This record gives sequence, C-alpha cells and structure tokens, in this order.
Amino acid sequence: MNKVTKGAFLKYGIPCLAVILIIIQIILVNTHQLSKWKGGGYGMYTEIHYYYNQIYIPGLTVDSLITNNQDMRATLGRLKLMPNKNNLNKAARLVLKSTERDSVHIQIWKPIVNSQNGEYSRYLVSEIYLKKSEL
Amino acid sequence: MNYWSAIENKLKDHIETAIQLLLIILSVYIFFTAEDHRIWKVPILFLGLISWFFFHKKTKHPIIWILLFLLLIFDLSHSYFWLANHHFMLMFLVLIVISYSYHRQSEVLLKNVQLLLAFVILASVIQKITSSQFMSGNFNYYMINRGTLFGNFLNFFPENHEIAKRNVESFIALNATDPNLHQSIIIKNVNPNVRLISIILVWGTIILESIVAFAILWKPKSTWTHVFFTTMIVGILITRLETGFMALLAICGIFLCRNLKLRLFNVLVVLGCAALIITKYGYH
Repeated sequence: MNKVTKGAFLKYGIPCLAVILIIIQIILVNTHQLSKWKGGGYGMYTEIHYYYNQIYIPGLTVDSLITNNQDMRATLGRLKLMPNKNNLNKAARLVLKSTERDSVHIQIWKPIVNSQNGEYSRYLVSEIYLKKSEL
Repeated sequence: MNYWSAIENKLKDHIETAIQLLLIILSVYIFFTAEDHRIWKVPILFLGLISWFFFHKKTKHPIIWILLFLLLIFDLSHSYFWLANHHFMLMFLVLIVISYSYHRQSEVLLKNVQLLLAFVILASVIQKITSSQFMSGNFNYYMINRGTLFGNFLNFFPENHEIAKRNVESFIALNATDPNLHQSIIIKNVNPNVRLISIILVWGTIILESIVAFAILWKPKSTWTHVFFTTMIVGILITRLETGFMALLAICGIFLCRNLKLRLFNVLVVLGCAALIITKYGYH
C-alpha cells in the first residue's frame, strides 16, 4: 500500500464503515420494515418505539405464549421490531408448532397519533392466516 | 493548589483527556451490558485480563482497548438489531483509538472523529426529515403527553405529571382491547401549548442538528461550531436523559474543540453522564 492510499485509508476508512452501516439500516427500514430506532442508523426518537407495536392473535395472548418460551419471545420480539411478511410467517409457524391449533391468525398493529385532534388509535400493518396443513 | 491551572493542564492534552473519558464510558457500558451472552464473554474477559495484567507494559498493543472492542463486536454479532445506536458509535470510536495507538498521527485521529461525528448527526437529521410522524409533530406530541420527553420537568408539576400518567394508563387499557374494533382514545394535553411546543421542537431540532453537522464538516475546531454543538447536547439532555449517547458526543467535542472552557464543559457533561448512568438515572 503506497503512502497516499494508506493515508486516505487511515483518514476515511472508519468513517466510511460508519456510513455503510447507516446506508444498510436505511435500506432495511425501507425494504424490511425495520424500526428506525435500531440497526445503527441513528433514527431514534423519530417515530413511536417498536415496543408499542401490538401483536394480536385471536384466542391467544402474547404473554401466555412467551412465558417460559425463549424462542417464542425472540420470534415475536423480532416481529415487533421488523413487522414484515417473513417474520410474520416465522411467528405463525412457531405459534402453530407450539399450540394444539389447526390454524392461526396473526395481526401486527402500530399505534398512530393525530396531534390535531389528540386521537390515539391503531392501524393494521400486516396479517397472516396459516393452517397446520400448509406447514 | 491552583485548581484552575491543574484543570487547564489536563485540558490542554485534549486527546489524552478524551481517550481517558472514553475508557471510563466504555467500561461503564461494558459493565452494564456484560450480562448478555455472558457465558461467551467470560473467556474473552479472562484471557484479556490475563494479557493486560502481565503484558500491558511489555507490548505495544493496546490490550485493554482490543479486549473491550472484542466484547462490543461480540454483542454486535449476536444482537445486531437489538443494540442501541450509540453501541455502533462507541464501536467506531474505540476502533479509532485502537488505530491511533498504532499510527500515532493526531490529525488522522481528529479527521476520523470529525467525519464520524458529522455523519452520525447527518444521519440523525435524514432519519427525522424522512419520518412523517416526526415532521408532523405527532411523535413529539405523543412523547410529551406520555411524559417521556421533558419527563424530569413534569415531576415538578404534579398535576401535569398526573395527566401524563393517566394518558399512559389509557394507552395500556386501549392495547388490552381487540384492535379490530377500531377503538381510539383522546390524549389529554399535559400543557395547553403542547401541540405548538411539538412543532417548535421539530424545527428547532432539525435546524440545530443540521447547523451542527455542516459546521463540524466545515469548521470542526471553531468555537462557534462547538457552541452550537454543546447547545445541541444540552438541549437533548433537557428533553430526555440520553446520557450514554450524549457522553459519546461530548467526548467527540473534547477531541475536536480548541476552546478550553468548552472543553471543560464537555468534560463535565461526560462525567455527569457517567454518574447518571452508574446510578441508573440515565440510560447506559
């Protein structure tokens, strides 16, 4: 490595690495519904925290599913963080495997606020119906 | 003892001062996050401590920094999407210090810190501008009314604090219902001007962060740049105790700033944040 290249590498290498991670995060936010809060893109405090996303499974409570089930906790946690079809599918498969049900319906809702009238409500982001026979 | 000259002497060697403070914040952060994946961290820590204990003065390698960097990388590889944003910034700062311990060129170190800091703040601005929830003021409105922003001030006003508490209870109650019923609640304002405050906060944040990012790119050592920069840090700390991140920003300020008084202010911010993190008043 010649002196000029080495100098440029030392000066710009680490900041460029930071920019690459920021770009990856922005791509994931726009393509995989990753929350802006995570992934190293410095987007915290720009939208309501993903913790307040709601997973709704008719006939089941999330609390009962995640109790003593680390795998379920991680999968549903990831669904809140990145509410995309792939994670929804993974969550549905795991719920079907963990319960005695023949089918499952999972919805993911996000909170929405309107500061004009002070209304706080929820909107449906995505949902899945999965039958055991489709596994 | 002349205290001011002792402080001045310490602040004159700003690179060494900033590196020492970074080591303090890094150690505190590692301490608070050590429990995650601890079974794998024990051997790394054990071997690292042995190397440091026996060889730290006999080798040119910055053993303690490399050890702590390995722990950061370990967490990154296992929990990439769960880590706080300042974990990434901390990792880059540690990498910059490790790199500096080999090349020993202060201008390279300062260029690294300058660009890293500018890119982090620019990214933050871009994320805000591209968020319709943030730009409409809806996000700040929600956060103020649930007592998350300016929460420490609400404690001095029991009535307003009570409103925020009731809002949170309403959110919890609504979340316990079937969302398919499409119910909603009306948020109670903790302050009659909360909508206006939310909008002012949006534009104040965007304008101040943009000024700071471009000033750091353009004139990284100027006193005015660091007046805006420290204003931004203090502003963020007033709205919420993001102490971990603000400590890192203040450390960057110590690296870059020429003005001794502003350097001192940044040192106080870092030490104050460290005290708040250790006592768990602030976020690590």
